[in-house]
Amino acid sequence: MASLADELQQLFQQFSGQLEAAANEQAVRKVYADFGGANGAIRLKQKELIKSAPNDQKRVIGQATNEILQNVEAAFNAALGRLASQAEARELARSVDVTLPGRAHRLGHLHPITLARREIEAIFAQLGFTVAVGPQVETDFHNFEALAMPKDHPARDMQDTFYVAGAEGAAGEGADVVLRTHTSPVQIRTMLARKPPVRVIMPGTVYRRDDDATHSPMFNQVEGLCVDEGITFADLKGVLLHFARRFFGEEIGVRLRPSFFPFTEPSAEIDFSHGTCKGRGCRTCKNSGWIEIGGAGMVDPEVFRHVGYDSEKYTGFAFGWGIDRMAMLKYGVDNINAFFEGDVRFARQFR
Amino acid sequence: MKVSLNWLRELVDAPLDADEVANRLTLAGLEVEAREKFAPLSGVVVARVLAKRPHPDAAKLSLVDVDDGRGKTQVVCGAQNVPAAGGLVLWARPGATLPGGITLGEKPVRGIVSPGMLCAEDELGLGTSHEGILILSPADGLEPGDDFAKKLGLPDEVWEINVTPNRPDCLGHVGVAREVAALLGARLRLPSVPALTSSAPPAKVELADAEGCPRYTALVVEGVTVKPSPLAVRLRLGALGVRAISNVVDATNIMMLLWSQPLHAFDLDKLGGGGVLVRRARAGEKLMTLDDQERTLGPDDVVIADADGTGVAIGGVMGGGGSEVSSATTRLFLESAHFLPSRVRRTAKRLGLHTEAAHRFERGTDPSNCAHVARHLAATIMGVAGGKLGSSLTDAYPRPIAPVLVTLRPARTDALLGFTTKIDRQVSLLKAIGIDAIDEGAGTLRALVPTSRPDLTREVDLIEEIARLHGYDHVPATLPPLDSPPGPMRDADDVRNDAARDALRGLGLDEVVTYGFVGPEALRVFGGDEKRWVRVTNPLREEQSIMRTTLVPGLCAALARNLARDQPDVRIFEVGGIFRMTPGHPNPAEERWHAAALLHGRADGWLKPGTAVDFYDLKGAVEQLLEALGHAGEWQASKQPWLHPGIQAEIHIGGVVVGYAGQLHPAVTRALSLGAAPLVFELDLQALPAASAVVAMELPRFPAVARDLSFYIDESVTARAIREVIDGARDPLCVGVRVLEEYRGDKRPAGKKGMLWSFTYRAPDRTLTDAEVQKLHDELVARLAAKMTIERR
Ligand SMILES: [Zn+2]
Repeated sequence: MASLADELQQLFQQFSGQLEAAANEQAVRKVYADFGGANGAIRLKQKELIKSAPNDQKRVIGQATNEILQNVEAAFNAALGRLASQAEARELARSVDVTLPGRAHRLGHLHPITLARREIEAIFAQLGFTVAVGPQVETDFHNFEALAMPKDHPARDMQDTFYVAGAEGAAGEGADVVLRTHTSPVQIRTMLARKPPVRVIMPGTVYRRDDDATHSPMFNQVEGLCVDEGITFADLKGVLLHFARRFFGEEIGVRLRPSFFPFTEPSAEIDFSHGTCKGRGCRTCKNSGWIEIGGAGMVDPEVFRHVGYDSEKYTGFAFGWGIDRMAMLKYGVDNINAFFEGDVRFARQFR
Repeated sequence: MKVSLNWLRELVDAPLDADEVANRLTLAGLEVEAREKFAPLSGVVVARVLAKRPHPDAAKLSLVDVDDGRGKTQVVCGAQNVPAAGGLVLWARPGATLPGGITLGEKPVRGIVSPGMLCAEDELGLGTSHEGILILSPADGLEPGDDFAKKLGLPDEVWEINVTPNRPDCLGHVGVAREVAALLGARLRLPSVPALTSSAPPAKVELADAEGCPRYTALVVEGVTVKPSPLAVRLRLGALGVRAISNVVDATNIMMLLWSQPLHAFDLDKLGGGGVLVRRARAGEKLMTLDDQERTLGPDDVVIADADGTGVAIGGVMGGGGSEVSSATTRLFLESAHFLPSRVRRTAKRLGLHTEAAHRFERGTDPSNCAHVARHLAATIMGVAGGKLGSSLTDAYPRPIAPVLVTLRPARTDALLGFTTKIDRQVSLLKAIGIDAIDEGAGTLRALVPTSRPDLTREVDLIEEIARLHGYDHVPATLPPLDSPPGPMRDADDVRNDAARDALRGLGLDEVVTYGFVGPEALRVFGGDEKRWVRVTNPLREEQSIMRTTLVPGLCAALARNLARDQPDVRIFEVGGIFRMTPGHPNPAEERWHAAALLHGRADGWLKPGTAVDFYDLKGAVEQLLEALGHAGEWQASKQPWLHPGIQAEIHIGGVVVGYAGQLHPAVTRALSLGAAPLVFELDLQALPAASAVVAMELPRFPAVARDLSFYIDESVTARAIREVIDGARDPLCVGVRVLEEYRGDKRPAGKKGMLWSFTYRAPDRTLTDAEVQKLHDELVARLAAKMTIERR
């Protein structure tokens, strides 16, 4: 019997020694399989002992050897536990240099005109204005005629126009196709397509024969139109004030100055108080404390006549300004041409 | 329009504070854009020349003894026109300041000390002449010792007023003064004009074109002496930027600047038949204008001919050279007429003659005022040039233009403006600008609008005047009620364009906006049908003469600018319109929304940090963009001549080609001087079908198992071809297929490429066993091998 115990004990010690030397889970499991598994040395020895023992001893030997197998099981679990806590300790000991630069997931950048346009659209969306668009190559009718600017009207001088050769390619200046000089033709298209009430904001690209630091032959405007029963000049002022404060800040004031546009009556120039100098006056605002923003007014009955609206029943206001100019003021861009050069260093500043 | 503050002060019966008046005018719609001091000088006095003699050491200088009433002083002078003893000159004494901030002292000139100097016109800031010192005439009424600035009311203040096209009345000082008086509640003080009667017969006028010239008044003045105007007149013209010419011509200009009524003085002796005939020009009629240009006229133009029928002026636009007033002129034929605005505008525009006269006539002068201004002009001329009336007034006015009667409902004023203005306040505001409004009861006012305001013909025009004079500052700010149903949602194109911008931005591209027009050369490189180009007929430059048919030239130009500025790593996109002529299209040109992008240089921190961008970076961007818009494209090799023949594809969606992607052709790259060839794509966003609505699928409940397959295959076999075979061969339980790698390295059999594909197996209703997966995979591989020559790696 002594030899039996010794043999098993010897195997167990061998097992313990190998288990201690096992450096990872895979090794631990292999050691366990080699000794305690179904075909492991200890189980084989147990089977052999039980087989060779006399019948009345089989039970005792079984119990005695099971004890050893339980110890094998316990040692195996302890070894796994030891490895797990070692792994955790190693993980916890690890650290990164948080001051190294981050790995870039580069976002691109939207153009300042897109950013300004979206902000304008969002502000007016709050007031119930939806967005409408129209073509850039426009008929003389939509761009001038329907806006109360017939062919010989001096107001046409206010907008130097690019003309487009007709489809036959035979037309010159005075032809009836132009690159639109303002977004106002979209007003006409909208009103021709819908009955009041109308509340739209109309962004778009426009063209004028002008080229210097503050004028580009192509630029972007946004136009607003609100027509319904009972719309007033005071409403126009209120809407502009709301916009000014949302776009430039709560301290901004709005000033309307009488002006002339053939398609509005009364007409007004829109001035916003200059945020940068807080209205105290500086070089940008020519010391006036005010910045000229755009034009506005109550829709002229003549325009309503062209689109078939009853000007006794309905009144409305319209306004418009340069999106580019808004973006220049908001982001402090001095030269409008920077918007159209595509310099990536310029583009990457905006967010 | 330049306005003299001194002149306004003469015309308004109230003290004028310059700052206040400028501000009030600006807020009333007459924007004072600039203010400038005219002739800011002090310490300049009138002096009498007592004697002059040459400077002993300088031939061109003289020593002049002058007397300023306080005694004799010797001044050194460089001018050649120093008058003889008794002449009056202007002496800037030591301590005097001149425009430009010069202060005079006593300083030696070639060894002889000169206390101050004798002044020329330009030194006084009165004009540009430096031909000699200014010599006063006895007619100027100045005495030695007089302070020049004080006597002539200098400095004056000159305002540049932005007069909108609807306000021709404010193209003269009287109109501006009327506004000032109305704004301040002061009285207008108009100059008195003598009645000027004559027993002589009327000036000879025949009016044959009463449409083009509704009114023609004329007076003859005889016995005038043409000479320079008195200093005060020259100063006034100088202040307003008008060159002084002679007393007669200057008088016509002064009257125009006062009344906004252009006038013309003919030399009567040069008018054949001693009078004028106002008629339409004959087709092809030639006329030599004052600027020595021969003009060709047509029946739409009004010609002032002499009584013999020879054209002497283009009515309302410019006089002719032959009948001009000269220094020899003694008899004048004075014209004060009204021309039809649209006719003048067409003539001036066609001839490119944007004269001061045409500027006023085409906006509308006051037809009621012609005779009055004719008399004022004659009286003024007789005051400065002598002479007497040689005719009684001729007034050819066959169909007098009556003041317009407008009905105004004060309640409508309130309804349009959004606040209440009492009826008597409305009446008094209109009264202040010369409009008599009579309360008829029943809620209406009858307003009589003077002919000086051709812009006021409707009720709404008068409402604007009330709002303007009341002050826009006093308009309350309200918000329109949101009680109407909202309009339609924004246009689908617009929504998709912004979605495309967001997607491309998210992919690390920077948005640019380039010009809508490009040059023919830049566009020709990219092919296309030139007959469908939308051409600008009056471009500023050739590079901006064709509306773009593709966004790529703009992106290439932006790349070129970046390269020139040492920025080679460029990843940009644009979402914008392209244009072409399409017969039958509802708009003048067909405009389509495109999205295009350009990649160039290294992909820093983008897809593969530090490596050069390649076709697959581009394709990945397009795929992600399409995914964001709800689509997946089919890619096929294509044959665009402007792209690299081996590195380009067309993208098909729903059986339509929606765009191209590829590397720019080396020849195009060279032609555009771009260095390395950029990668570009362009999609016609409007060719994309409407994306189908998203329907969320049920997530799989059982795990998937992946198996890879690595093999060599002929280089020429495309991934798409392999994929088609796989799709035909796979079991429905094979739910995913993708390429992991393409290998074209050194260790491959000749003519072959290595590929690694991955397959995903999953059953919807149970967990697949390893054995099942292995069986499915082995069967798939066997079927592939049967259809394609592959060699397992
Ligand atoms: Zn400022």
